[in-house]
Amino acid sequence: MTETTIQRESIQFNQKKKTGERVFRICMYALMTLIGLILIFPYFFMVMKSLMTREEVASAELVIIPAVPQFSNYLQILTDSGYVKAFGNTMFVIIFNLIAVPLSATFIAFGFARCQFFGKNVLFAFMLSTMMLPGVITQIPLYGLYNSLGWLNTLLPLTIPNLTGGGAIYIFLARSFMQSLPKEIDEAAKIDGAGPLRRYFFIGLPLCKPILIYIMINVFNSNWGDYYGPLIWKLDDSFPSTLAYKVFYTLTNTVVGNDQINIRMAAGVFMSLFPAILFFIFQKQLIEGVAMDGLKG
Amino acid sequence: MYSTASSPNQEQVEQKRVSRRSRQQYPIAPRQYSRIHRFFRDNWEGWMFVLPLVIGLGVFTVYPMVQSLFWSFLNYTGNQYYYPVGINNYISILTKDAHFWKVFGNTCYYAFVSVPIVLISGYLLACLANQPYKGIGVFRVVFYLPCVIPGIVSGILWKDMFSTNGVFNQIFALFGGHSEFFMSENSFISISSIFLMNLWSIGGGMILWLSAFKAIPTQLYEAAKIDGGGRIARFWYITIPMSAPMIFFNVVTMLIGTFQYNGSLVLYPPTGAGYRDSMNMFAVYIYNQAFISAKWGYSSALSWLLLIFIGIVTGALFFVRHLIEKED
Repeated sequence: MTETTIQRESIQFNQKKKTGERVFRICMYALMTLIGLILIFPYFFMVMKSLMTREEVASAELVIIPAVPQFSNYLQILTDSGYVKAFGNTMFVIIFNLIAVPLSATFIAFGFARCQFFGKNVLFAFMLSTMMLPGVITQIPLYGLYNSLGWLNTLLPLTIPNLTGGGAIYIFLARSFMQSLPKEIDEAAKIDGAGPLRRYFFIGLPLCKPILIYIMINVFNSNWGDYYGPLIWKLDDSFPSTLAYKVFYTLTNTVVGNDQINIRMAAGVFMSLFPAILFFIFQKQLIEGVAMDGLKG
Repeated sequence: MYSTASSPNQEQVEQKRVSRRSRQQYPIAPRQYSRIHRFFRDNWEGWMFVLPLVIGLGVFTVYPMVQSLFWSFLNYTGNQYYYPVGINNYISILTKDAHFWKVFGNTCYYAFVSVPIVLISGYLLACLANQPYKGIGVFRVVFYLPCVIPGIVSGILWKDMFSTNGVFNQIFALFGGHSEFFMSENSFISISSIFLMNLWSIGGGMILWLSAFKAIPTQLYEAAKIDGGGRIARFWYITIPMSAPMIFFNVVTMLIGTFQYNGSLVLYPPTGAGYRDSMNMFAVYIYNQAFISAKWGYSSALSWLLLIFIGIVTGALFFVRHLIEKED
């Protein structure tokens, strides 16, 4: 008798616990869906705005869904020679940096990870300390330097400095990644008589694929959305503006259609498309890369 | 003295001494050459690899820093007529500049409030997204998605949503309220609007905490559970200490980043200062002083003050960490 009651009670208890857990789980799902909807809403709003007519955008009434979606807004951007040119310039900068930054960063990192040399630790510490340096401090003298080199009003300030590693953080990440790889392969190659360049190009580089992808995605995102660099290095309207700067320029300059919010929103949707696609493809690497970021502490 | 040396033994000693001296004076001896040679042979590989870095640091970091320090003591405006003013630039920034202390206060308010907001909201979201439920990956992607949207785009979007007839004011109007958001004269409102905008990208903080959680062994939590540790105890005694090094590093980099916030250039174009300096911050102020007003010497002094300030804050953080580690 007593045993069965205990069993019954325990079953009841388990069921109670199960239903409680189920309710908890449903609440969690509901909460997450709510947060997700809130976070998605601004983007949805932007897409809707980009499909509105000029009157709908300018009206004092709140219009969320346009009466007739105006895909011509996008067509206007795709046929606007200014935007097309800006896209071309952005692509030039990005492709240059996509090759230059990962290569130079891993090249330098290979030296730190696999070679012993005089002044290594001092140089490494100095490189890390530049992460603390505010960008504004070097900006003003660099403006003078680029001015005397004739680099102002061109895309060179956005590309050439990246040949030197593209920032301490990339070099640091690449170095810690390389240090986690087995050293024996490199040493075996050394014994077999492979020179340093051969060891870097044929052994170091192919093993660095995950970190290369992470660096490339970050390089893409940072250059794609960079409006501040072009803003500084620009002198006049003959500047080959990038896409982000073009969008920024239409925002600040009332002469070139500041009132056309719908067109600007369409440009914004277009601009956010590429990073979003990249994120969908490489989300695992990105999140793992952030985890790698975290290990530096 | 040499002439008095009579014994052959002494002569020999003298000869030896001379020959040693000559070897020191004329470094043609093979041993010395080989030492330099060996030094070069041992190091050239590494030097070759870091050569780009050395050039880059020299040209794009060290030279500009020295130049900017030099300019900060000059009355330099970009043309050839300038004269040294000593530390007058610094003195006039700290005592006479009508904007500086407002800018400084704004920057501090922005940096010291936004970093905890990111950490706390990111933690809460990460707790949600860390549950072992089905389809949690989809939610994570959705939460992180706003972070991949470029800053310029989100700036334009939120500027529109916070405009006079924008979504937020339409909702506020239902309750009879109205806010100026970014356009406000009140720093508290305009900068808090930036926080509200930044909340949209809490996914970044979430990812940070998720990767911190991932690094903590689950056995610790199980052991704590058996010992009767509750949720708060587990957070306080396991999650915080275990993720502290990583979170600490990110707090430092985040703080340094927020001190240089220039996103208000998009929110209040073209100056980025806000209505009556309401969201004028350090980096934007330096930008305006340097590239709009062309006060190069003055803005160099400003940027050095920013560097000193960042150095003090970072040093204080490291000192606090040192104290905490000592206590344990």
